[in-house]
Amino acid sequence: MNSSKLEQIRPKIEALEAIPTIPAVVLPLTSMLQSAPDQVNIERIVELASYDGTIAAQCIRMANSPLFGRRNTETVRSAILALGLKRVEAILLGCCLNQIVPSDKWVFDAVTFWRHSLGCALVSRRMAKLIGYPDPEKAYLAGLVHDLGILVNTIACPGDFLQAIRTARAEFLALHRSEERNLGFTHCQSGKILAERWSFSADLIEAIEFHHDVGQLASRPLASLIHISDLLCRLRDLGYGYYEAMGVHLAGDAAWAALANQYPELAKTDLARLTMDIDGAMDEITAIVDAVFKPQQPSTEQ
Amino acid sequence: MAAFDEQVANTATKSGAEDLRDPAYLKIRDVIYQISGIYQPEEKLYLLASRCARRMSAVHAKSPSEYLDHLTILANRDTELRLLLNEITIGETYMFRSPPQLDALRNVILPQLIEAKSAMGFKRLRLWSAGCSTGEEPYTLAMFLLEESAHLLAGWTFDILATDLNDNSLAAARAGIYREYALRSTSEQLRKKYFRPHDEERLQVTDQIKSLIRFDRVNLNDDGKMTFLKGIDLIFCCNVLIYFDLSSKRKVVQHFYSNLLPGGYLFLGHAESLYQVDDRFQLVHFPGAIGYWKAPVVYRGDGKP
Repeated sequence: MNSSKLEQIRPKIEALEAIPTIPAVVLPLTSMLQSAPDQVNIERIVELASYDGTIAAQCIRMANSPLFGRRNTETVRSAILALGLKRVEAILLGCCLNQIVPSDKWVFDAVTFWRHSLGCALVSRRMAKLIGYPDPEKAYLAGLVHDLGILVNTIACPGDFLQAIRTARAEFLALHRSEERNLGFTHCQSGKILAERWSFSADLIEAIEFHHDVGQLASRPLASLIHISDLLCRLRDLGYGYYEAMGVHLAGDAAWAALANQYPELAKTDLARLTMDIDGAMDEITAIVDAVFKPQQPSTEQ
Repeated sequence: MAAFDEQVANTATKSGAEDLRDPAYLKIRDVIYQISGIYQPEEKLYLLASRCARRMSAVHAKSPSEYLDHLTILANRDTELRLLLNEITIGETYMFRSPPQLDALRNVILPQLIEAKSAMGFKRLRLWSAGCSTGEEPYTLAMFLLEESAHLLAGWTFDILATDLNDNSLAAARAGIYREYALRSTSEQLRKKYFRPHDEERLQVTDQIKSLIRFDRVNLNDDGKMTFLKGIDLIFCCNVLIYFDLSSKRKVVQHFYSNLLPGGYLFLGHAESLYQVDDRFQLVHFPGAIGYWKAPVVYRGDGKP
């Protein structure tokens, strides 16, 4: 690992904080995302959702889509009630984080990226509940932000990052392996720098930093959860949008052992069934991501 | 996404035609999963509901919960479950049905097998399509292997065993004559290479392809015959075990485990699971596909495998 290269881009990453509006909305959102659903203040969500007219319109359009029963929803408030608070929070966080990358600067397909993040969030929460991890909402949030470093790399070193993506795509490689080769560091490390600047909680930062680092997962349950969910998503068409040549024996994975040690329920998990549930969740993930990233397209669903 | 995301603020219905909120459908789903190992995620229950609808009208069940009785309590339950499973798996057979499985073979499994077997001086692969029905699966594997023999498998020999219990299916498989439905995922290039016209509507596989496959009638419950089969690298058993009860399913899967060489894989139908049927196979995920792996025994010198 070339840490001097990471130090070179550190100032660039830290300068990201200067981009307007992000910390203002992200911070209250991240704290809200960690609350249990019955403790979330709906008025605060309405307020946050209304700060940006596009997002508000998206929530309303989505609430009126066939997936949610085609209601006649006209206000942000009723849209939020129709969609559910947790879903709106995900849309909001996605929109806000998405704005740190100008739309013409994406070297990674934005829709693919958010499909992966949201997929990972849902799988993490699902697994957290299955195994009795005490904070499923934190698992959800960690899934949403675990690849923050991909946004960082996009802004801080787009040329090299694009090359890393091309190599990964051509050689069916995991992205972090290709980043090591092309950048000298991974999105885990660059994501950690931004997460620290944004004062994310310690375990969130660990999930961002260690989700590809199986050697570091012992006694880091949140990072282990994210490691497994990330793998499952990449294996079920919620990955980085290219083919990765991998055969993963999850139950033999170090993260699995680390987690099973603390949460014995994990050993009883029906992995085949969980995998098929992920496939079943695909329609909804697509709908949420489309709501965030395809604002101008009319609905084509019937 | 009710099963997946429990904070659903509404109940979404896909078609509105079936009342999917009827909890009986979830129970039917669970009964099917428990008995056959076929799983339907909650978001896809509308598919299950439409399959049930046909059987419900056949047995004059007025509601899903009444139909649930047909599957669980009434005397006809074994027959009825079999008929419902027929509905669920019907029309699924065609060539190149599971590209992710073939991708996994090409990109992960074959390189693995080739490395391990070359190290021991072997250059031969044995595949088994267990429950080959009318032959779509073994012919797909044969075409796949022939295509790879120019690259990955240069210098390798392979044979494919294709077995079924049903004589009519086996006869159709041996004939190798297919309509458009079976060929809908077969590229023009492969059609030209491995098929010849049979009549105006049908194509027949060439003798080159047929020569790679040995068809045989095998009852997977026949211990004698099952014990005899050895040295297999890959077993494909798609939507067959679903018709077996738990104890025979366990027995068949144990046989499969012994039939396979260490390092070999068993593949099932895409909605099938071996959960609680077997604990020796390791579940391995590939992009878009799941395989069951017979791990090679590694001796660590501490007396434990």
